[in-house]
Order: sequence, then C-alpha cells, then structure tokens
Amino acid sequence: MLISLNWLKKYVDIDVSDDELVRLIGSRLVEVEDVIDEAHKYDNIFAVRVESAEKIPDTHLSLCYIDDGGKMDGIPRDEKGLIQVMCGAPNVHAGMMAAWIAPGAVVPASVHEDQPFVIGMRKMLKKYDSYGMLAGADELDFGGDHLGIAELDPAVAKPGMTLAEIYELNDIVLDIENKSLTHRPDTFGVIGFAREVAGILGKEFKTPEWLLKTKADFEQEDIALDIEIADENLCPRYTAVVLTPHGEYSEKYLTLERTYLCKSGMRPVDPIVDLTNYLMLLSGQPLHAFDYDKFLTIGKTKNPKIIVRAAKAGERLTLLDEKEVELTESDILITSNNVPVALAGAMGGDNTKIDENTKRVILESATFSLYNLRKTQMTHGIFSEAITRFTKGQPSGQTLPVALEFAKHAPALKPIALFDSQKDAPKAIEVEISVEKMNNLLGTNFSGKEAAKTLENVNFETKLSGDKLSCKVPYWRTDIHIPEDIYEEIGRLNGFDNIAPVLPLHATADPSPRYALKTRLRNFMSARGANEALTYSFIHGDLLEKCGQDAKNSYRITNSISPDLQYIRQNILPSLVSRAYGNLRGGFKHFVMFEMNQIYRRSDGVDAQNVPNGRHQFASLFVNDATDSNYYFAKHYLEALLDYLAIDFELREFVAEKDKSNAYYEPKRSAAIYSDDVLLGYIGELKLKVLREFKLPQGTAGFELDTDKLLELAGTKDAKLVRFSQFQSVERDLTLTVPENQAYGDIEKALREVFDRSGYIYKIRPVSIFQAEGQQTKNVSFRFEFADFNKTLTKQAIQDIMKKLESVKF
Amino acid sequence: MPSVVEKKTSDQIAELKAALKALNQEYSKMKDLPAEERGDFGRKLNEKKQKIMAEIAAAEEAALEQDVKPLDITAPCAINGELPKFLTADEGSQHPLMTELDRVMAIYQSMGFDVVESQQLDDEYHMFDSLNFAKAHPARDNFDTFRTEEGYIPPAHTSTMQNRILKAYKHKLAEGEAIAVAVPGRVYRNEDLDATHEHTFYQCEGVYVSKTCTLGNMLGILREFFEKYYGQKLNIRTQPGFFPFTEPSLEFMIEKPEALAGKKGEFLEMLGCGMIHPNVLKEAGIDPEEYHGFAWGGGIDRLVMLKRKLSDVRYFESAKLDFLKEFAC
Repeated sequence: MLISLNWLKKYVDIDVSDDELVRLIGSRLVEVEDVIDEAHKYDNIFAVRVESAEKIPDTHLSLCYIDDGGKMDGIPRDEKGLIQVMCGAPNVHAGMMAAWIAPGAVVPASVHEDQPFVIGMRKMLKKYDSYGMLAGADELDFGGDHLGIAELDPAVAKPGMTLAEIYELNDIVLDIENKSLTHRPDTFGVIGFAREVAGILGKEFKTPEWLLKTKADFEQEDIALDIEIADENLCPRYTAVVLTPHGEYSEKYLTLERTYLCKSGMRPVDPIVDLTNYLMLLSGQPLHAFDYDKFLTIGKTKNPKIIVRAAKAGERLTLLDEKEVELTESDILITSNNVPVALAGAMGGDNTKIDENTKRVILESATFSLYNLRKTQMTHGIFSEAITRFTKGQPSGQTLPVALEFAKHAPALKPIALFDSQKDAPKAIEVEISVEKMNNLLGTNFSGKEAAKTLENVNFETKLSGDKLSCKVPYWRTDIHIPEDIYEEIGRLNGFDNIAPVLPLHATADPSPRYALKTRLRNFMSARGANEALTYSFIHGDLLEKCGQDAKNSYRITNSISPDLQYIRQNILPSLVSRAYGNLRGGFKHFVMFEMNQIYRRSDGVDAQNVPNGRHQFASLFVNDATDSNYYFAKHYLEALLDYLAIDFELREFVAEKDKSNAYYEPKRSAAIYSDDVLLGYIGELKLKVLREFKLPQGTAGFELDTDKLLELAGTKDAKLVRFSQFQSVERDLTLTVPENQAYGDIEKALREVFDRSGYIYKIRPVSIFQAEGQQTKNVSFRFEFADFNKTLTKQAIQDIMKKLESVKF
Repeated sequence: MPSVVEKKTSDQIAELKAALKALNQEYSKMKDLPAEERGDFGRKLNEKKQKIMAEIAAAEEAALEQDVKPLDITAPCAINGELPKFLTADEGSQHPLMTELDRVMAIYQSMGFDVVESQQLDDEYHMFDSLNFAKAHPARDNFDTFRTEEGYIPPAHTSTMQNRILKAYKHKLAEGEAIAVAVPGRVYRNEDLDATHEHTFYQCEGVYVSKTCTLGNMLGILREFFEKYYGQKLNIRTQPGFFPFTEPSLEFMIEKPEALAGKKGEFLEMLGCGMIHPNVLKEAGIDPEEYHGFAWGGGIDRLVMLKRKLSDVRYFESAKLDFLKEFAC
C-alpha cells in the first residue's frame, strides 16, 4: 500500500522530521518497506501559458510560444521573452495553461526506467527549434491516454509556478507492508492512517465530520429500490445511492485528486470511477458504480432490485476486464433481480459498466464477508486495491458516510435516493480495563490519565474512575474486543520500545534427553566421516512404489503444490536413497549420509488426543562404488554406535514387516536389530530392483533405528565399566576352521564364554575370514588380548586358555 | 552349477518367451479374418500378450532375487573380504541447521528453558482452535496449510505445541514456578519453492508463563538470548505485529551484530512475539486473571543463512554432499 506523506499531512499536523516519522510509524504501527522520495521527480517542470499556437500546414504540429514567467535561464526567447516549443497535441491552443518540461529535465513517467528520458532542444521539420516539451498527463505520470497535453486550471496555475508547488508533488511516498495490518481495516485509508500517526505523535485526531454522518443529507425523491440480502453473514451491510444527471461535466483540468490517485498507485479511468477510487484511498471503503439503466435492462424490471447472494457453482459472469469467470459457491454475487451484475468485492460486471452514455448511476457502498472474499481473491486471482481492503473486513459503520461523500462530489450527478440494508446502527463496543492490571502485564507505569489520553487521541471515548478505565470503541476499530486489545493500544501508541527490557530470575534447565542423544549421534557419525543430511518429510508416490512400500500406509496430502510432496514418508532411508545418485554423479564415490527426523505411518495409529503417532528415527546410507557389498561397512558403524551408547544388541534374521514399511531391504542380506526383545530397527543391503530404480551400485546398504528406543535403552545403562589390569597383557592369534555356513556370531560367542569363565580381562578382534576355492570350510582368524586382573599370566595359564579356545568346535 | 530353483526360473522365462513369440505370430492371422471379427481377435491377443509380458517381468525379477547370495549377518566382513574401516573424520559433517538448533537449545537451557520437540503432523485443534484462530481465519485455508485426507496438518508453526506445553507444565504454576519451554521443530507451508522460499523449514518457539511476568520481561529474555547467541551487547527494537494467539503482538528486531558485519542503525527482524492471548491460556486450563505469559517463534534457517552468508534456502534439504561437506566439524 502506498501512502503519500503530503496527503497524510492534510489530516494530521506532523512536527517531526520525515525520517523520524518513518521510524515512529515502523515501531508503533507497521513496517515501512520502502520510502520513495519523489522530491526531485518534477524538477524543472513549470506551469506555462501558451501565448500562441499556430498550426503548421500539412503536419500535426503547432508552433507555440509559451510564457514560463521567465523562470528558465539560458534559453533563447523572442522579443516578448517567450520560448518557442513545437507541440503535436490536438488540444494545444492559445491562452491555455500547460505543463512544460524544460530542456534538461526528465520526463516524470520515465524516472524509474533504466534510462530516464531527458528532454533537450530539438530541431523539428528541419527548421523549427523546439525547447522543452509541453507534457501530456501520461508523461507526467498521472495516467490517461496520450491524446493531448495536460491542461492546468488557470485559477491556481500561474506562469512560472513549478508543477510541484501546484500539485503538492514535493512528496515522500511510503510503501507499507500490508500483511501486518490484516486486522486493521481502518488503516487502509489515508484518514485512518493519519489517525494512527496522530496517536503515535501524542496528538488528538480530528475525524472529518463527514465520516461520522449517520443519515442522508440530501433531499430524497420517492423512487423504489429493493435490496434483498440472502445471508447477512455474506453481506453485513449494503448501502446504495441513486444519482441522476445534474448539470454538465466541465472538469477539463488536471486535478489534484487525480495526482493523489496516481501517487497511490492507481490510474484514472473516468470521472465517476476515479471518485470511487479516490474515496476508497481516503477512507478505506471501496465503492462501486453501476449504470442504472443497464441495471434495469439486465434485471428486466422497472424498479431496480438488488439481490446479494452466494453464487451457484458453475454460474458465469463476464467482468469489467471482459474476462468471463466461472463462479464457485464461496463467491458472493450482486444481482439485478437475480441476474449477476458484479462479483462482490472483486470486480463489477461488464453488463452494467459505466460508459460515456451512462446517465443514472447506482452507487454501491457495502461490506462483505472477508473470508468469502479471500476465497474469491485466491480462486480468481483478483488482487485489486478494493478486494485488498475488503479482505481486511471493512467496518459496516462507514458504508453510509462514504456513499454520502460520493453523492456530494459526484461529477454532473445528484443523489435522489438512499437505500440501506441496515436498519439500526449496532451498539458501540465498550471495554473496561484496570490500569493496574495493564501495567502489570506490560511492565509499565502509565497513569489512568495517560492511558485515557492515549485512547482519546485516536477517538475512543473514555471514562476514568479510580483504577477503572472504560473505553467506548469507535465504529472503525473492528479489532478491539477485550482488555488485552486496549493494553496493546496503549503500549503500542506510546511505544513498546519505551518499555524497559528486564530479565526475570531463572535457573538453568536440564538438557532434553532426546535432544542430547541426537547430539551424541550426530557427533559420533560425523567424527567417522559421515555427512548429516536433511530431506523432505513429503515424498512422491513413486518413491513409495519403487521402494515396495504401500502408499495406503502413508498419510496423503490433499492440497500439495506438487506431486513430489504428496505423501508423508514412512521411513527416512528411502529419501536418502533417492538423493544418493546425485552425489555419485557429482563425483562422490564412497560416502555415508545420515538423517535424524520424524516419520509417520498410518499403521502406527493415533494417540489419546487422536493425533497420529509419529516416530523419531535415525537412518544412515552407505554407498561405495568400488564394492558390491556394503552390509559389513554399515554394520561396522552400527556396532560401534550401539557400543558407544552402551546398548547390548543382537542381529537376527530379517523379517518383512506386514505393513511393507521395510520392503526395500534384500531379505537375504539384511538383519533385524534387537536388544533383548526390543526391535531397534533394520540393517541391510537394498534390493537390486530398488537400486536399479535409483541408479545406485549393487550392495548399497543402510540402517534405520528408532531413536526413542535407543533413548530408552541408552538411558537405562550407564557407560560400560572400564576395567584394565596393571599387569602385562598378552596378545595371541587363533584361526578356527569351521563349516562354510557357520555363523560368525556363534563362534565369537563361544570364545567369549571361554574367556568369561576364566575371569580374565579380554578383547576379541576378528582378523579375517578365509575360504579357499572349492573348500566347504572356512578359516576364521581372531586376535585376542587378555590379562589377569591380579597377577602376571604364566606361560602355563596362557597355554591353558589357548587350548580351551582352540577346542571350540562347530 | 546352477541350483535347481534357478534352473526352474530360467526354464520358465525361456518358456514364457517362446509363448510370446508364438503369440506374436498369431497376429499375422488377423488379415485373413472377416473385418468384423478382427477387432475382437486383436483385443484377445493383446490381453494374452500383456499377461505373458507381466509374467516374464515377474519371473525375471524373481530370477534377479534368486541370484542374490545370502550373507552371514553376524560376521565382521565378507568371506575373503577386508575388514571394513570408518571413513576419516575430515570427510564428516553436521547439518548446519541441526548444529544451529543445538546451539540455540543450549542457550535456552542455560536460561532455564526445557526443550520439547514439535510434532510433524498435528490436528486442527492444536494448530488453530486452541490458538484462538477464528473458525474462518484465512490461515486455515488450504492455500497456506497442508492437509492430509484425514484432515491432519503438517504444522505451519511450532505454536502447534503451545496448548500441549501449557497443559503439561501447568503444575509448575501451582508450585509457584514459571513455565519456561523452548520448542524446536520442523514446519511446513504450502509455498512454491525458490531461493528464498522453502515449504519445509525449522522454527523455534518459546513459551513463558508466570504470575508476574511482563512484556518487559519478554523483551529482556529475547535480548538476553540474542546477546548470548551473538556474544555481544545488542540494541533491540520492536514493531507491532498481528497473531491471533498473542495480544499484544510484536515483531522483535536486533541491531545487526558485528559478527554479521552490521552497521549502526541497521536492524534485523528476528521473530514474532507477544503476550499469550487469554483465550489460549483458558483453553489450556490456566486462569488468565491469575497468570499471564508470553511466547515467540522465529526461523532457524534464516539465522544460518545470515551467519553463513547463504543465498539459497533450497540447499538445506538438498542432501547434496558438495553443500554438506562445507560444514565439516
């Protein structure tokens, strides 16, 4: 939203610098996104009188002599001191006041272009010197067509005056971030914004009388107009004024109102529409004008009947911009006797559009359900100034006064009748606060009087009695309902930044166990060369399918922006799998990626509050282009990790989950990870089919663990007791020959049992597993390191234990 | 020597392929048929062909699986294979968002805040109803909020935890203590992806309730947090904001710190905050006449982007090693 400071200053007396004002608005009302300094946009543009304009035969040009009041130096003048300018506009004529862009000045409409257009001295038709340019309204950045030059009102414009002083163009325009004013429809008009500025500056705001009117101020004729509102929730108030032709439209000059319209980012259309827009910018209340006679024809009635109702799905309407829209049930329609004539709040219909033949007019000033209009806005992609205001919920109290203001200024029209759907004005809201409670909440020390004054400045009526301050809320403050709303007003208008920050006393808190665990896992993995990744919780249905998972077990997003984000993932590993190829292609041939996050499966059901149960998981993917098996690579990390967390575990035969959530593991090369009877997760190489789908090398492996289960188990055990002996330890190697199918785990277990019985301190490390070609046995080699806790081991003792170890048989 | 099972599969595939070949030859008979019978004949052939092709695909896949040799899940390495080794520490890295969250949480813990992680799938009640969102509030629209078929919501803010936290920690108030909880979490918005917009990002919420706390306390806590985070004294500023679940509502800003090469007078918006709306306290069974509190929420992604001078938010969820390895520990 663009707000002209000069316009604002018409309603509030500002006695701080512009910089300070911008800072105060930012800290007490709304973020100012940009401050557009227009001060020099109209430099060296003057009001001039065209003293003579002589058509040059067979051209469209006129040779003109202009009086600039002698303002510009260094330009050749004739004996009367006039300047010669060529002008191609058909409306140029002697005696008119025009805007002259002096040589060297920039055409205002081009100032924001990459190469602003600088006016110079030109020679035209090979013989006529032309100094500067007589400008059209469009060139001055005041919109309109390019049919003629702008004509200035001689009552205000005198030769030599700058355009800036006539039209208040030495201005600063604020670009306001609307989003944070969603709840403040009143600030979407210059008057409402000015009221806030007054409040911020500690001044009492004078709301213009006309905004407080509650009844018609013109003589009404006896004509019929019927307003029927199907649902008051859709349209809380509908006010209409009927106007008929009155006098001649004579405005041919560039008006001040038009310049403000343009500075606020709108363009002129025609005098009636311009006035509706101007009043909207001023008050925040959008207006719409219908051609009365077209309205009757469309509705096939003698007397107009306005019916406001919800659209029916599939109904169609051609809008002012000549686009036909298909309507939905959340759209609101204005109809003439049930024939659609406008998409309420968004755009009028083409069928009742004001044009040059328009005589009588119906002026609409209404409020609509902001929720419906927001849907209309999004469905049809209409982001006009009007709908932006309507979607903030314009107060119903202002439909009448703004309609009356239109009636008063309507060009060549006079009001003859007023209709209003609201019979009785709603009672003003009153809120009572305790000043002490407010101070206790804000951490402030306002007196009752200060609080009252703050509110009075922005036109609340207050009554102070002891600690109680009762506040009558003006109709335009639709956001005030409870004491906290009043606290906010008082804190905000006086500046939250004036409240001293005070740190309350506090103790320290214990770390969250799960968070601390995740930090440990992160440190553990990254210290072993693994890279922590994050991937989306949402996945494409293809990923589920390629991994053999059941899409029905995933929560499905119904309104996702892309099919890539349609399902909530059931596991983290498939996400890592889907990203691995990119890294391989990027030159990484050997890597470990891990991620810790939450997952959801429909098979996990809901909690006591009916919210889906989620799981915290930790997944890791092991890729090595140089081998066709990474199961042991993955297992190496898993073992070390669980050892680090002091969790005893066992790898058991892989079992496919009924819900197919682990369907991507190759069952013959995967295992279930158990600690006693608790299933921690799975480890394994991925199915060839899955790897082919994702272009990953055979043998790519991964594991995924339930972080909360790790937390439970890691939490129940202390770190393993560190035992070491002060006596010399012994190292011995042993190779056992066992059948080729003998599981390694059982061998190591048997060896441990031998050591456990000995009472020695020991370590067992695997060295190699060797199988010669054609043999049905394999040799498993170990290195033992052991010591006695109480004495140096004798040769005999060493021999004894080795004998026992050697005799382990399978 | 191929095992019996394998043999069976390869025979089966050969048979199926032969059947397919025979079937393909059938098509040539079509031209001899009367025109009106051709359509039906062709359709039947096509059906048969599709069935055989599906069988071939299934058999080929089975053959592929059959070729897979089982391994000893308990062994330390493959037979005749090398013992695996860890990658070297210098190749490892931690995700910048995660390390940042760790740091943020450590500061909050030192300031007395418990840490409770946010849900990643929640419901209408926690996301909106309990937070004083009007029934028809635009934020509930599908335009902004993802929804599952069942109507569950991948939350758009960590405030989705507020009601749970207030209820779970209410006992502290009765014990004369304050509720002080920080909530890190992953949140989602229905937005198109570009360099500055992610549909998935991380936030951290703070909730504080006591008998005596004030808006001044909120500013004090937030300033303290950022001073610890940036390791320097900071000037702060606020801007009015609007959130249905706080009243008053503010945007909190800090003067750009030296670590970010800030200049005097340059301010950064860090988070939204405000005094918890009495309806939100009431909904959690806390009497707003007796207690009040404040809450805030801010993005973690932005903290990291500022700190690391990143210009494209999409890297965070890209799982690209080029990017991740920049964050070696």
